[in-house]
Amino acid sequence: MVGMRGISAPYIYVCTRMRVRKAKLIPREEYQRMLNMGLPEITRIIGETEYKQEIDELGTTFKGIDLIEVALSWNLAKEYQKIQEITPGTLKTFTQAYLRRWDIQNVLTILRGRMQGAKTGKIKEILVPAGSLDTQALDRLLGEENPERVIEALKGHHMYPVLAREYPYAKESGSFSRMENELFKQFYAEIIAGAESGIKGGNLFLDFIRLDIDIKNLKTLFRLRADALDADIREMHIPGGALSATDFANLNTIKNQGEFIDMLKGLYRQKALLALLDEIREEKTIRDVETRLTRVQLEQMEKMSKRHPISIHPILVYLEKKKYEVFNLRALARGKESKLPSEKIVDYLVM
Amino acid sequence: MALRDVKPTRSELINLKRKIQLSERGYKILKMKRDGLILEFFKILATAKDSRGELLKKYERAAEMMALANTVEGAIGVKSAAFSVREVPQITLKSKNIMGVVVPEIDSSKVKKSVIDRGYGVLGTSTVIDETASAFEELVEAIIESAEIETTMKRLLDEIEKTKRRVNALEFKVIPELTAARDFIKMRLDEMEREELFRMKRIKARSNA
Repeated sequence: MVGMRGISAPYIYVCTRMRVRKAKLIPREEYQRMLNMGLPEITRIIGETEYKQEIDELGTTFKGIDLIEVALSWNLAKEYQKIQEITPGTLKTFTQAYLRRWDIQNVLTILRGRMQGAKTGKIKEILVPAGSLDTQALDRLLGEENPERVIEALKGHHMYPVLAREYPYAKESGSFSRMENELFKQFYAEIIAGAESGIKGGNLFLDFIRLDIDIKNLKTLFRLRADALDADIREMHIPGGALSATDFANLNTIKNQGEFIDMLKGLYRQKALLALLDEIREEKTIRDVETRLTRVQLEQMEKMSKRHPISIHPILVYLEKKKYEVFNLRALARGKESKLPSEKIVDYLVM
Repeated sequence: MALRDVKPTRSELINLKRKIQLSERGYKILKMKRDGLILEFFKILATAKDSRGELLKKYERAAEMMALANTVEGAIGVKSAAFSVREVPQITLKSKNIMGVVVPEIDSSKVKKSVIDRGYGVLGTSTVIDETASAFEELVEAIIESAEIETTMKRLLDEIEKTKRRVNALEFKVIPELTAARDFIKMRLDEMEREELFRMKRIKARSNA
């Protein structure tokens, strides 16, 4: 282990643990098998894997799809919290920063739930306390009776300035879209600022985040393109990636698919991404493009983690893969509950 | 009209002849209107069949997309995206005239929206929400189109039924009764004329004797 000389044991330990955990994730073949099963069989299979404890604990309170949903959310939150506990030093800082995206999701869910008059229990079922807001903090927010008080209760949190600034407009327009976009932009801006502050390992974290931003910007671009939107789309651009806001806006104005792909190819360097852009030169459905982009992102992340085995990469790759495992299992269960054909469900699984 | 109520007078005969002429003209016009309406109805029927089929297809797709959106984004995600909609579709109702039948003409706007105008955040949602929203917008458009076609069809059918009843009434009741009354008056007038002639002859014969 010459290459690992000088790296502290906790770093090696946590990265190895992440690789072991990643190996335990449900393989592709298992999803294929589950596609041919009914909901009770899927529940049983899930109950035999890493989710056993949650399924057993919740089995008396919930049943059917609710049991799977809540068990998956609990497991995801528990797993993420555990990882935050075991990661040392700067890896912990990066992990915590990366997981703050769950705060956005949780706060927006609570705000929307409150706006729609959803029951507290129902909102709580879908919260994933994986970010900086733990179960107690989320319970406190859930105890607030209206969105204004929820935002007030977040005073001092990272998100508060954006929430306080954007909520009046969201309330007036009845739409959280601008607030949601601004929260995501602030999230990435803060992560980049943190990674660029000179902290050890920040460069590797930055690579990962840039890839995430690039894929997100590309997905947005393809989505807006599918909609043939002529408006100014700079508001939806996340700064920090390979695409500048001007490139982003200019790309949206190109009508010809070939020219569009050529311009994109000139802006990116990753081979996998360039190969994908060549593949999607012919018109593909937006869903297909989105799935392929997610796949490229995961492949790239995997490569990064192999190139830097003792870094933040193995941790983040595991976090992402775990997220998609929960997403897939939930989609499978919900799809089966809605009696969707397996061919349709498989299109939406990230395998 | 019972024949016993008919006054066998010349003026009545003239009146009846006028009525028969009017009824026959009305009968011809109504028959032409009925045929015209039937032609229009069959033209619309073909469109209605297509639009009904299209509506059903779009409904099935929208329902499937909703199930998929619930699968991918969860019920709250779908609901929050749905509640983000700010602009509701606008419908303008006008009317047009098909052979005297007033049928609606529905114009709609703001049904199909762009991703930005739908009101949900692009960065926090996936394409499945776009596809679901788009499927439902197409469904609403199909419903509006079907509403126009099917209301037109219903009104045309009502009018055809009404015209058919009128044509039948004229053909089988009014005109035959009027013709019978005319014939009766003619017969009575002829008979009265013959009686008069006979009476005159008898008077003449008596006065000669």
